[in-house]
Amino acid sequence: MSATTMVEGTTAAPSGAGVPAPGTDLLVPVRRRTLMVRTHPVVKLGCAFAVTLTVLLSVDMISAGVLLVALLLALPFSGLDMRVLLRRLWPIPVACVLSGYGTALLAPASGTVLVDWGPLGFSTGSILTGVAIAMRGMVLALAGVLVFATTDPTDLADGLAQRLRLSPRFVLSALAAFRLVGLVIADWRALSMARRARGVERARGPVGIVAGFFALAAALLVQSIRRGTRLAAAMEARGFGGKHRSWARPSLLRPRDAVMPALTVPLCALAAGLAVSLGTWNFIFL
Amino acid sequence: MSSHAARAQSQPEPTAPQPGRFRWRVVDIVVASVVAVATGVLFWIWSSSWSAMSVPFAAFPPAAGLLTGVWCLAGPLGALIIRKPGAALYCELLAATVSALIGTQWGPQVLISGFIQGLGAELVFLLFFYRRFGIGVAILAGLGAGLFLGVSENIMYNVEWAFTWQAVYTVTASVSGALLAGLGAWLLVRALAASGALSAFAAGRSAREV
Repeated sequence: MSATTMVEGTTAAPSGAGVPAPGTDLLVPVRRRTLMVRTHPVVKLGCAFAVTLTVLLSVDMISAGVLLVALLLALPFSGLDMRVLLRRLWPIPVACVLSGYGTALLAPASGTVLVDWGPLGFSTGSILTGVAIAMRGMVLALAGVLVFATTDPTDLADGLAQRLRLSPRFVLSALAAFRLVGLVIADWRALSMARRARGVERARGPVGIVAGFFALAAALLVQSIRRGTRLAAAMEARGFGGKHRSWARPSLLRPRDAVMPALTVPLCALAAGLAVSLGTWNFIFL
Repeated sequence: MSSHAARAQSQPEPTAPQPGRFRWRVVDIVVASVVAVATGVLFWIWSSSWSAMSVPFAAFPPAAGLLTGVWCLAGPLGALIIRKPGAALYCELLAATVSALIGTQWGPQVLISGFIQGLGAELVFLLFFYRRFGIGVAILAGLGAGLFLGVSENIMYNVEWAFTWQAVYTVTASVSGALLAGLGAWLLVRALAASGALSAFAAGRSAREV
């Protein structure tokens, strides 16, 4: 999925980099604090991984279809702002259709051949496989939206360090750095505007885009590393990285955290089981 | 001079023994995190900077492998700056997480991708016992990350493609990784060292000696 083009829904900034104004909420806002929002972030991440692995392991319309329907039904229970969700996330179906098209074009022909361009072409079999790939992409993206948009990074970091026992030094540094995302985006805009002001033309052509990207990336990284070095000194001055650490926000598992796994795990089993029993399960490693 | 300052800063306890070459100082962890976050933002900018040219790439997906090298950038970049075991893996994984958190288009599978791509770069640095950080090793690390990306995407997403096209994708992704992630990271670190931003790191000190 990482290779699919990510189209930003917001309007292009004057810098032309397609980056929204700093401070713009990148995620879909949470409107209601539903059970899904309040579920422990580590549990939620586990549920997302269960769905992700189930759908990744096979390319078939049955397992992907069951999970897709379930996730669409779960959307209203996410507490996310549905109107913003639809406005921001239209690139997801576009990207999924494109990846389905790619597979339909590149898969070996099976069934009736519709278009034959030598090694490329479309057949009824390859188109059905492409539809399964597109549905699978939708499941992966929706699972990500449901979990990441309803999770506060601070809660996730607390949970990862306290419940999963990941190294607090690394988890809290990552969280501190993540807090700088808005500044990093603001830096990028300022740097690209400064470049324009100096009369450097907007990059054209593949080489120009790559060269322009790396020139600005170097400047962006200089700013980030200087900020990071200062941040490290400030954090160490407050005792960060010492032997003992206490937690301002205890990350506790509560009975309600059992609800999402209790729904997700049987759902994944149903999706995989139905595909296997119908004979459509199509394991990716075979 | 700045190396003195950095060393004093990194050792709060003066009686502590010289930290091992492989031990992460606080400044290592924080700067690795910041570099990863900035790279996560770069992932997102990179994909939007190609939106105008996405149609030809979408029309023939194996060619899109040429653009995937930037997804592998965080690993070689982190390792070249921090020079500690795990730096490539940590930076790539965190950058992938950031791109998921800010992007919303990428689901949990991007964490799997980040882990795999980081591993591809990490193994190359391990192969050289974390002693060599020159241009050759950087390009190899980018190649490793790109190769892991190509193979893993062929298994996870391009699984139904004909074998020829999977092979084409692996080659384009590897070349892209070697150039954009490997050579790109090395050039970036050279520019960073010249700016003085890496004075707290061995990467900045060795650049000044040369």
